[in-house]
Formats: sequence, structure tokens, C-alpha cells
Amino acid sequence: MSFKENMNLYSKGDKAFVYLNMFLVAMFTISTLYPFIYVASLSVSLGDAVTAGKVVLTPVDFTLAAYDKVLSDPAFWTSYANTFIYTIGGTIVSLLIIVPGAYALSRPQLAGRKYWNMMIAFTMWFNAGMIPFFLNMRDLGLLDSYIGIIIGFACNAFNIILLRNFFEAVPASFEEAARMDGANDFQVLWQVFIPLAKPALATITLFCIVARWNGFFWAMVLLRDESKVPLQVYLRQIITQLTDDDTFASTLITASYSYETVSSAIMICSIIPVLLIYPWVQKSFNKGIMLGGVKE
Amino acid sequence: MSTVKLKNLVKSYGDVTVVQGINLEVKAKEFVVLVGPSGCGKSTTLRMLAGLEEISGGEVSISDRVINDVAPKDRDVAMVFQNYALYPHLTVAENIAFGLRIRKVPKDEIRKIVADVAETLELTPLLERRPADLSGGQRQRVAMGRAIVRHPKVFLFDEPLSNLDAKLRTQMRAEIKQLHKRLGVTSVYVTHDQVEAMTLADRIVVMSAGKIEQVGTPMELFNSPANTFVATFIGSPPMNLIEATAEVSDAGCYALFEGQRCLLPTLSQLSDGEEIIIGIRPEYIEIEPVADATAIDVKIDLVETLGSEALLHCKFLDKPFVIKVETHGQLTHLENLNKLYFRQNAITVFDKKTTNAMIASDKK
Amino acid sequence: MEDINNSLSTEDSILVKKSKWLVMHLKKEWQLYLMLAPTIIWFIVFLYKPMYGLQIAFKDYSVFKGITSSPWVGLEHFYTLFDNDQFIRAIQNTVMISGASLIFGFPVPIILALMFNEIINPKFKRTAQTIVYLPHFISAVIIAGIVITAFAPSTGVINLMLNAMGYDSVYFLTKPEWFRTIFVGTGIWQEAGFGSIVFLAAVAGVNPSLYESAVVDGASRFQMMYKITLPCILPTILIMLIIRIGNILEVGFEMIIMLYQPATYETADVISTFIYRQGLQAAQYDLAAAAGLFNAVIAFLLVITANTISKRVSKTSLW
Repeated sequence: MSFKENMNLYSKGDKAFVYLNMFLVAMFTISTLYPFIYVASLSVSLGDAVTAGKVVLTPVDFTLAAYDKVLSDPAFWTSYANTFIYTIGGTIVSLLIIVPGAYALSRPQLAGRKYWNMMIAFTMWFNAGMIPFFLNMRDLGLLDSYIGIIIGFACNAFNIILLRNFFEAVPASFEEAARMDGANDFQVLWQVFIPLAKPALATITLFCIVARWNGFFWAMVLLRDESKVPLQVYLRQIITQLTDDDTFASTLITASYSYETVSSAIMICSIIPVLLIYPWVQKSFNKGIMLGGVKE
Repeated sequence: MSTVKLKNLVKSYGDVTVVQGINLEVKAKEFVVLVGPSGCGKSTTLRMLAGLEEISGGEVSISDRVINDVAPKDRDVAMVFQNYALYPHLTVAENIAFGLRIRKVPKDEIRKIVADVAETLELTPLLERRPADLSGGQRQRVAMGRAIVRHPKVFLFDEPLSNLDAKLRTQMRAEIKQLHKRLGVTSVYVTHDQVEAMTLADRIVVMSAGKIEQVGTPMELFNSPANTFVATFIGSPPMNLIEATAEVSDAGCYALFEGQRCLLPTLSQLSDGEEIIIGIRPEYIEIEPVADATAIDVKIDLVETLGSEALLHCKFLDKPFVIKVETHGQLTHLENLNKLYFRQNAITVFDKKTTNAMIASDKK
Repeated sequence: MEDINNSLSTEDSILVKKSKWLVMHLKKEWQLYLMLAPTIIWFIVFLYKPMYGLQIAFKDYSVFKGITSSPWVGLEHFYTLFDNDQFIRAIQNTVMISGASLIFGFPVPIILALMFNEIINPKFKRTAQTIVYLPHFISAVIIAGIVITAFAPSTGVINLMLNAMGYDSVYFLTKPEWFRTIFVGTGIWQEAGFGSIVFLAAVAGVNPSLYESAVVDGASRFQMMYKITLPCILPTILIMLIIRIGNILEVGFEMIIMLYQPATYETADVISTFIYRQGLQAAQYDLAAAAGLFNAVIAFLLVITANTISKRVSKTSLW
């Protein structure tokens, strides 16, 4: 036990400081957590109770009516399934492009390596922006298509550079030993670098998954066909319908569920998968941040 | 059995030439050590031999086949790396089998070969472990296992012992030597440690600044260094060098320094008044009068005890000068020493301008 | 004449040598280029090709004529933009919102990191960290959904509390004077925890013997935090600050799109939302592309400047 952990050695002032600090951190933590609890409580409260303004922290008149309503909506299931397609498909395509690319960019024998890397890095500082990107997607015929969403957002400079840095840090002798053993580039990547880069790959995979799961703007812009939109777009439609016009919200209100409880239920349904992978995300992003460091 | 031949081998990066035309022939079954300070081009030479570095000029051949443009995997050489390059995600067995698996050797055969190699290297109980769970010496052995499993024509070692502590290094040195005896595979070994070179090599190649300074057996290098570089690089403590002026007369050749006059071996190319450097090994200095030896006045600054031996430190012309003597369990007589005896035949004379040795002195 | 011939032939031979080398190289390393190809193609198709499309900022773009055939109009769109009060307002709002986020949001992760560092109980620390990092991984839609729900006029918890304290309900999201506060506050709530990671890493890098010698000297915990930890992570703070200033034009516009409405445009409309409305909703592609180009160029210059400064400050580049 170092001096830091041994509270007995602390002066009174230090003890007060430690407890005050703990209290403040606890407050911040609770205020971070509260909105989620609030939404969760809303989602399982009776619509009437919510409309009457009774729900502040804990559920009032517990009911799963809002979930019944949400889960019985086919559009919810369609968008949920779409989100899975975009997340899984998108992550796989991202890795298929990023991993070999980062490997190639990390190899000193790659001719013009400096220029290729500059070409990638430049896009971090300058991009054409929303409109040319949209027009480009349209010209490529990728509006309103699964492929467009999956491929159009498969890469970004940050992930490539993160992984490339990791590959660069692998001692050269690992590649050389494999080469002398007769391995070609694909074998070196597959049998040596990918196993070695597991922590970095996990980070990138999880970043990809979270980004895909949460992505909504371009899905909203590029997808017109209701049957292709992901959960976030569906959720947005529900949420903004209240602010845009009150008529929809009023049609939603019954005694057992209300607009608030239904939208809260959808939010909870969308958060749950993120919470499920969150332990892994948390484990790896510490490393990921270290890997990328300030060197982004 | 395989020979290795380097002909005018050159490596340059842009304007910088790190290997400047090396010629070397390694005989079949021979164990050759390339030794030199860091940056002397020894590793680059080895890596060109392995195919890991492109060859800028000259030729490399193995068994009389020029392999300049042959891929590393087709050269039939195996290399032990400084950091062993053991794959942390594979077990010892998988690490040893890696090369065979890549070459699509049948699984049963792989298992048999790996078992044999493990037996040879006493790795059998460790086969299922991962490199992280092995000691330094064990990792080193796995790395060798990975090299010998393919029965290559030539073994290459790139400073394989530099990551081990002193005690293990001594032990592994002996193991490498024994392994080489048993397998009899032509080996090229790179190190910056002259002790390693001396103990392992059939022949040593001393390199400096991209050039070969001298090639010879350990004893040849020790006793007859070709120049002051080799003289100070080989041997520990290194050979003592004293700048002096030659005095040549009918009476013989002498060196003059600090008002002292020391009898040199008779050298025909020495001329009177020439600037020279005389070299004498710490081990070859006497502290009792012997025949053919010149007495030199000294003041001992410091006695360093190593147990059975002691190092006496003193200075000539402000340059450190070291004597290595047996203690016979006594130190007192050493501290008060005021005379040393340089035997005529123990002295090597170097031309001060070229730093080359004038003639090999034969000792003992 | 002869000289010219000579120089030509040496040039030729260099060319021959180079192409020979290239052929050899590709023969040996073709797999590497095969691996690189998808990445490069992706970057060209999805990021560099739109840069070619940026020319519509100087053209009277017509969907039927396409990018290349639309007629040039020079800087007309830029004149239009700077005559447009909405665009000027969007620039002002961008800087205002970013500036407020910077002033109020930047210190929070630093304080949080310092506070985390002072927590002794490792379980408490881990739990608190796990919770405060979480909002970073929640989508903008959900965050916006939570905000809309919590600030709702009759059922939202904020107004319920106001009512309980005797105040009237406020429909916050329709009030321009509240927009920035809500947006910046939400941003801090969502990102402060995650933002503390970088500073925690810096704190972890502080040499422990500094604390030990301070303890021997009788320093209090607060003094150690203030006089050792803080100065030690100052370089990181500086670099992060410079990065943030360099990215000042970047506003979480997905969130704004979710939260703003015509009633709050006067404080909420930023450059990206302006571009979104003009370009994607009103289909004025050329004008919106001009606004985007303006934004991108300024942002690029800011980032480059920030990097140059941080190179001076830290002696290391950010990338």
C-alpha cells in the first residue's frame, strides 16, 4: 500500500479534500446517469402519469404499454433490422478496406509511401463538404441504397492512421522472420500482424460499430425509401414529429402510453445494444486513445 | 555442404555508403563471426546475405549460386533475430512450426520435425507455452529451433545474445557452439561483443566503417592485429598503445617515449626517427625481470582486483595504460610496483600514419 | 549539340533504369499494392472526387447539365452569400456556439481528470469513469431526444421542477435566448467525461517521485494537485486547447438539426445547418457548395495554423 492509498496517514485537511472530491465526482456521475434513468422511467410509466407530469425519477404506474406499442410497429422492426445490416455490413467492409490498407501504408518498402500517407491525412484537414459529397453519391447512383450507406462511409483517415501507427510499431523482425520462412504479404498480414494488432483492431472495430449504430445524418439525407432507413432515422421521425407538428403527437396519446413514453421506449431500445457492447468498448478505447494519442 | 561468398559487396542509401565493397569467403561448416562497433555495416552485410536488404553492388553467392535477386525465402537460409521475433500469439510448437506451415509441409510431418527439434534443444516440456511465459534463454532456444527446423544451408545470427544477461549469455554461447558442432551448418554470426566473437568463431571478421579490417582466427587477431583498430577492439582490456619515436641503429630497434627507451622486435621496414605506435597486450606485460625485456618506469595509479587477477592502471603520455597480472592471492606487492618489463617479442609496432601493424610479433 | 545529346541519353538511361526498377519492384511487391488499392480507390471515389465537384461553387450548377458542363459564374455565389444576412448570422452563430463550448466546456474535462486522479477507492473511480464516458457513445438522435423530452413544456422534468419552485413553464426549445445554453450544456454533459481521458493519460505520465518528495515536504493533497499535477499536464492542456481552437468551425450540427426550429434559427443556425438547408433541403447546390468551400478553406487554414503553433509549443506535430 503506497502512501496514496493509506488514508490513516492523511491530515484532517487532506481527508476533507478527499471526501469533498469524492462527493463532487459522485454528483457529476449521478448527473450523467440521471437523464438515462429518467428516460428509462418514462418508458415504463403509464402515459397518463407522464402527461400529468408525475414522472421525475422513478417509474409511476409501471407498464410496458409503450414497449408493446413500439414492438408492434413493423416500421420499428424494419429500421432495427436495417441498423443491424448497416452496422454489421459496414463494419466488415470497413475492416476489409482499412486493415490491408493500413498494413500496406505501414511498410517501408511501399514506394511513395510518404505521398500515399499524405493523401490519406490530407482528408482529415480538408474535405469537400456536404454538397459535393451528396452530389457525388447521387452521381454514383448510391442514393437510397444499402450499398451506398455501407461503402460510402467505410473508411476514414483517422482509423487508417491509428492502425497504421500500430503496424509501424511492430518490430521489423516479425515481418522479416515470416518472410524468410516463406510468407507472402497476405500471410504476413493474416498470420502475424492481425494477431499482433488485436487490441488496435478491437478498438477500431468497436469504433466502427458504435459509429454505424449511431449514424443518422447521412442515412436521413441519402435514404428516401422508408423500408431502408435505420433505427436512428426512424427515431428522429418520431421525436421531431412532436416539435414539427402537434397533430401526430396527439394521435399517439392514449391512457396507457403517450408520445413521451413511446419515444422513450424507442430510445431505450436503441441504447440497449450500445450498453451490451459497452464493456468491450470501454476496455479498448483507453488503449485506442493511447494508440492514436494526440497523434491524430 | 554450403559455402558463402561475398564479392565486392556494397550497400548504399542515397549518398551514404554503409558497406563499401566486402570480400569474404565462408567455407562449408565454418562458423564466421562478423564483429565491429555499431554502425560498422556488419548487420547490413548479414541482412544482404539474408535477402532482407537490397544489394547495391557486388555479389552474394551461396554454394556458388549467385543469389542477389533471389527472394529471402528461396535462399535456403535461416536467421535468428536479435529480439528473436517469436510470435506472441503462437505457442512454442507453433512458433517452431511456422515456417513449415507456410511451406505447406504435411501436418504429421510437422509434428514429427517439431518434436525432434524440441528434443535437440530441450524444449519438449515447453512446447505448449507462449513466448511470454518463457525465460530469456528459453526464448533464445525457441528462436534457434525455428531456424534449424527448416534444415537451411546457412544459419544467420543477428546479435542473438545481446538481450540476455551476462550469465545467460555465457551459457547460450556454449550452447550455440555445441549446436554448431552437432549440426555442422555453415554459420554467419554478427555481434558487437568481441568476447562472443572470440569464443564462438572459427574465423572472425573485424569490420569498421563499412570495411573489413582483418579476417583471421581468434588467436591470429589477438596476437597479430593488422592495425590499431583491431588491436584495441579485440581483447579485454584492449591492447595498450603508446605513441613513440623509433630509434634504429646497428644495436637494434628501439622506441622512445617519455624519456624511456624500449627494445622492439627487429623490423626491417622501420627507419630511424619514424613516428610509431607500440602496442602491448595487458596480459603480456611482466612485472618481474625476464630475458629480452626492457624495464620501464611506472607509477601505479590504481589496482583493480578481479580475484585471481588484478588490473593495474597507470598512464603513459596521459593515455591510460593497463596491466593484467595474476594476484596469487596477494595485492600488496602490486601497489608499490615501479617497474614493468616489456618483452621484445610481446610488442607490436604500428605505423602512426597508417595505423597498420609493421610486422606480426611472435610471442611466447 | 553533343552536350545536349549526352544529357538526353543520360536522362533516358535514368528513365530506363527507373522503369526497370519499377517493374522489378512491382513484380516483387505487387501484393502490397493490391492491398493498398481498395483504400486509395475509396479515398479517390468518395473524398477526392467530391473535391472536383467543389467547382460548382463557381458555377451556375444545373442538375441536367452536370458538374462539368454547367457555366462558370465566378464569385457570384460568394457575393450572394455575403449579402445574405442568414449566412452572416450563421457564421456569427458558429463562432458564438463554438466559443461558448470552448470557454465553458474546455476546462471541465481537465477538472474532471484532476478529480478522478484524487479518488483513492479504485472501484469507485472505475465505476464513475465508466458512467461518465458513456454519453459519448450515445447517438445525437437519442441525446436530442432526451433533451426534447426533459425540456418539454408540460411533461419535461425541467419544467416540472420550475413549477415546483413556483415558476411558470418555459418552452425552452422555442426560445432563441435559451438555445445556446441548452446546446452547450448538453455538449458538456455528453463529452466532458470522454474528454477527460486524454488528460488522465497525461496525469498518469507524471513521475510519481514528484508526489513522494512532496509528501516528504509536507504538501497537502490539494497543493499537490495544484502545484504538481496541473503544471505537469499543462503541455497536454495547451495542445488540446490549440486543437480545439483550430476546430472552432466544427459544431455538432447533427444535434442542432435535431434541436433547432425556425423560431430559434436566429441563435441556432450555424454554417453547416445553413448549408444543409440551402443545399439539401432547398436544392441550391451551387450556393451551398460555395458556403461549404468557404467553411472548409477557413477550417483548413485554422487547423494548419493550430498545428504549426502546437509544433512550436510541443516540439512535436499533432499528426
